Amino acid sequence: MVIRQSTRLFLFVLVVVSMILAGCAQPATPAATQAPAATEAPAVTEAPSVTEAPAATEAPAERKVATFIWTQEFDTLNPYYTNMWFSSVTQQLYNCWAWDFDEANKPQPRLVTELPSVDNGGLSADGKVITMKLRDDIVWSDGTPITSEDFVFTYQMIMADRNTVASRNPYDLMEKVEGLDARTVVITFKEPYAPWVANLWRGLLPAHVLKPIFDQEGTIDTAEWNKAPTVGCGPFVFDQWESGSFTRFVANEKYWLGRPKLDEIFFRFVPDDASQIAALKAGDGDLGTFFAYSDLPELEAAGIKIINSFSGYNEGIYFNMHAEKGHPALKDVKVRQAIALAFDRQKLVDDLLLGRTKVAATDWDNTPYNDPSISPWPYDPEKAKALLDEAGWVDSNGDGVRDKDGVELVLKYGTTTREIRQDTQAVAQQQLAEVGIKLDLQSFDPDIFFASYAENGASANFSLDLIEYSDSPNFPDPDTSAWLCAEIPSDENPTGVNTSGLCDEELDALFKLQATQVDYNERVQTFNKITKMIFENVYWLGLWQDPDLFGVSSRLANVKISGVTPFFNIMEWDLAQ
Amino acid sequence: MTRYILRRLLQAIPLLFVISLVLFFLMQNMGDPIATMGGRNVTRSADRERLKRQLGLDKPIIVQYLYWLAGNDWAKADLDGDGIAETPGTRRGVLRGDFGLSLVNKKPVTQVIWERLPNTLLLMLTAEAMILIFALLIGIYSALKQYSTFDNIITTITFLFYSMPVFFFALVTMYIFAVNFKKWGLPYLPTVGMFEPTAGKTPLQVAWHMVLPTATLSFGFIAGYSRYIRSAMLEAMGQDYVRTAKAKGLPKPEIVYIHALKNAALPIVTIIALDLPFLLGGAIVTERIFGWPGMGRLFLDHVSRGDTPVVMGILMMIAVAVVIFQLIADILYAWLDPRIRYT
Amino acid sequence: MESIAPPSKGSIANLSPDVLETPPLSLGQLTWRRFRRHKMANFGAIMLILLVLYAFGGAFVFSEAYANKTETGARLQAPSREHPFGTDTVGRDILARTIYGGQISILIGLTAMLVELVIGVTVGAISGFFGGLIDSLLMRITEAVIVIPQIFLLLVMAKYFAASIPNITILGRTFSGSVVVIILVIGVTTWPYLARIVRSQFLSIKENDFILAARATGTSTTEIIFRHILPNSIAPIIVSGTLSVASAITLEAYISFLGLGVRPPTATWGNMLEGAYNYIETAWWLWFFPGALIALIVLSINFVGDGLRDALDPHSRAI
Repeated sequence: MVIRQSTRLFLFVLVVVSMILAGCAQPATPAATQAPAATEAPAVTEAPSVTEAPAATEAPAERKVATFIWTQEFDTLNPYYTNMWFSSVTQQLYNCWAWDFDEANKPQPRLVTELPSVDNGGLSADGKVITMKLRDDIVWSDGTPITSEDFVFTYQMIMADRNTVASRNPYDLMEKVEGLDARTVVITFKEPYAPWVANLWRGLLPAHVLKPIFDQEGTIDTAEWNKAPTVGCGPFVFDQWESGSFTRFVANEKYWLGRPKLDEIFFRFVPDDASQIAALKAGDGDLGTFFAYSDLPELEAAGIKIINSFSGYNEGIYFNMHAEKGHPALKDVKVRQAIALAFDRQKLVDDLLLGRTKVAATDWDNTPYNDPSISPWPYDPEKAKALLDEAGWVDSNGDGVRDKDGVELVLKYGTTTREIRQDTQAVAQQQLAEVGIKLDLQSFDPDIFFASYAENGASANFSLDLIEYSDSPNFPDPDTSAWLCAEIPSDENPTGVNTSGLCDEELDALFKLQATQVDYNERVQTFNKITKMIFENVYWLGLWQDPDLFGVSSRLANVKISGVTPFFNIMEWDLAQ
Repeated sequence: MTRYILRRLLQAIPLLFVISLVLFFLMQNMGDPIATMGGRNVTRSADRERLKRQLGLDKPIIVQYLYWLAGNDWAKADLDGDGIAETPGTRRGVLRGDFGLSLVNKKPVTQVIWERLPNTLLLMLTAEAMILIFALLIGIYSALKQYSTFDNIITTITFLFYSMPVFFFALVTMYIFAVNFKKWGLPYLPTVGMFEPTAGKTPLQVAWHMVLPTATLSFGFIAGYSRYIRSAMLEAMGQDYVRTAKAKGLPKPEIVYIHALKNAALPIVTIIALDLPFLLGGAIVTERIFGWPGMGRLFLDHVSRGDTPVVMGILMMIAVAVVIFQLIADILYAWLDPRIRYT
Repeated sequence: MESIAPPSKGSIANLSPDVLETPPLSLGQLTWRRFRRHKMANFGAIMLILLVLYAFGGAFVFSEAYANKTETGARLQAPSREHPFGTDTVGRDILARTIYGGQISILIGLTAMLVELVIGVTVGAISGFFGGLIDSLLMRITEAVIVIPQIFLLLVMAKYFAASIPNITILGRTFSGSVVVIILVIGVTTWPYLARIVRSQFLSIKENDFILAARATGTSTTEIIFRHILPNSIAPIIVSGTLSVASAITLEAYISFLGLGVRPPTATWGNMLEGAYNYIETAWWLWFFPGALIALIVLSINFVGDGLRDALDPHSRAI
């Protein structure tokens, strides 16, 4: 009896202690988030923000709360410190871009009166100088007006040596950013920069909150605002974030485009996709995203509406075209064409993706930059065999695998551990085996796969022959550096991003040209040439168009989703009656 | 005994030092923290070079370890990339109580861990208590009624749970008790999280949300624990002193609980002492599936982002706990079995 | 041994009860007799043989190429005459996959247990018997391994080595290099538990009078360890060993769940179960068959372990 009692007592005490600890954490968290608001916000606005909160919690029954289920937790809420998709798309709630993008991915002015253009004098003829006119009524959620000073400060923070921002793109291409007056911001690029619409001012930092911290600490890396941006410029304001559990945003009463119809948006972090599905089906969430295609019929059966939102991602295979490394067969365009013809990608899309998307023809599908005459390579195994024979790859030793000059046609095919990608590998292995190409399958954790050449990353060290993933660095802009000769990873250039290792002088010149073509029509012309070249030479083989999938419960009304800024009209969302 | 404890604590210092070194080097194999930074796109090369420089990731591993251990406020870093190191460091190093900043969210590591630890302890200690109570009951009962129908049935059931991977058990229970019970109009349990946003974080809500995760965590382990207890009890019951006690006509409960159980406790204490420190690490799968904001998820999230400071902080915390619990176990041995002496 | 009938107590009145209860049988015979009396253990042993036959004999019925053959048009089909266990998410035959997956899962379970037993018992025995400096040193090493959470080692090794270990061919089967990694990782990370248990047993048993007596009569150290102490601590070793076969099989499933298990298309019961995870409600046959096989093997191994434990228990009075 002695032991049992003492063990029980010991455990009981431990449980009680941990209950108390957990209980302590609960009142401590609101206190912690209120404190910065009181210290950072100017004295004038402190009063309303304090009175709002209790009023909000007093009548919980009438509040319109929407619950979003996110499979990844935000890393930071400072828009310039994150690369995470889940953090970036949430910025439309509490922060503001100079312009958002609507469901057709067209820019919509938010902080500016109109989008700068050559016609309205906002864009200089040489494409180097951009002048932005700010709206008169824009204010931070604490009432402080948003001025050109905030833009200049944001630029300074991105470029400050002690700030470890995630990306300086495209700010390191600028010569300067100035405020002509409180309502006018002038940006001067060193060279004409075509993709400015997609990449400029994806978020704004409040100078009146962060400048004192920067002046004192020399960095804003550790600023409280990054975790608790209680001063914001979106339709909602940050309220509370409990690590690993939830983040809460409440309506911004001072939002210049009108107060949102919902009172609160509650983000719940559920890292497991299957339990995300279960929670959505049980009605414990109103919006979720990043589903596997196979889950869609079930979700729809549970009354959840699926929205396909194209955001530039096209799943495809990069061929190892490195001049010295990789399998020799892939350097022959006929072999690459044979692979395209032997892999029935339409059937893959129909069966594994339930026919809910299309085979991708080029990496710019669903954008105006594609050559409209291109359609995907058809499935034609006989023609594939003929092409391989023509190229000299025949099965001379009868082992079922083609060979040439003693080299077997065995290709290493690598991708990440995502389920649909591994399934695709298995299907490809089987189909290519039918034309005499053997695939050796490998799959990697994403951080190993995408690690740089210096870190021996699988997608950068040319150890693989076929490399599958999708990338959309500047959507809705078509710019990418993945095909530039200068980006081929090597000992001299250990962080290059040219996965295929291809250096095609003509293609390289076209890519360099388009980046400077500020005129839209000229740029489309250049891209039509680029897409045709890549397609005909099969430098890249499209598998499927990979839209973002959002599931919205029937409780929510007026939901529109954009590929760039999914929640661009979040202030109009409402609970259905 | 005091000398023994003192000696063990002194031995722990080089041990922890070596462990930290090994872990730090292992951590370098977890992927490039700035390859994608949790995003969908590969980081631009200009940004990769800048971030490596700013975060000190361009330094040799041994220098990174030194900075982690002893801080870098005595060294200068080159932040602007002009080749001249001019900016003095700001970290004080683990030896001076500074575990550094997370690479993911720039929060101090101690704060990152502290935010999660109470949640994990609440869940894990409740589960451990459930495990021990049920395992003791089942283990002792099936040892006393060896080969009875009850023994066979309960053994089969515990092993059915044991053979079910945790993730599977978790999702099945979620589908039954949360999704389908709701659909059938029965009283249902919540799927994920710690509380409902509209109800707020009340103790009742938290307890209600703990039912499924606790059950998931306990059921599989009860089998293992009760096996050890059954085996240890059977052995103890066969010992001479138990027979002596029986012969003396002592009441059965006294024989079982005082004489046999105390001697059977040795292997049980070993297992518990080995398991307790890892409760701090949380339950990776259970927390992930039920969206419980604990240490397991924290660990996995930060491992997958290659966040060396946070991962090292968690691992070193567990390391210290293991050393302490091992020592406690050894002291308990001597107490439970006076024949064991440490010299 | 069938000839030795249990003597009845009344007839041989001049012998002490202790002699009566331990008839002159060799340890092997005694164990076998006791084991056969254990009904569940017999059931477990038969089941285990059947499962091994299923996994290894089934290979003569279905080829491995068939087990990995995808047919996306026939994905997620319920059990039928053509596919008795149904098909998976890319249209592979689940029956054939459970056969080939069983080979790997059984291999993982047994090998991981062997690695664990060899290291764990050796370290525990040496440490517990000799004590002093050796004990301190070995136990600190043990602690060092314990301290590094298993899951962390699994993640590091699976992440880093899985891709760099090439496929290996044994007995005409090509194994993904990740199988070797998983076996090693599981074996290498589980032995400290056993070592601690064995050590605690040795600490206690070596203080018994019969060890003192053995020492006094000049019995060699090796003999004391292997003939006197080890048989007396066999019970927890067997429990730990059998539990670890089962846990290795489920651990592999667990690692698959974290995306780092044996790489597809190589099947294991664990990664099949993991692949079924998203289809719990919609396609029961995906999880039922691998799940049932895992449950069966775990159950039968543990019943066998129970039987062995009881049979080998030197204090057991049962004949």
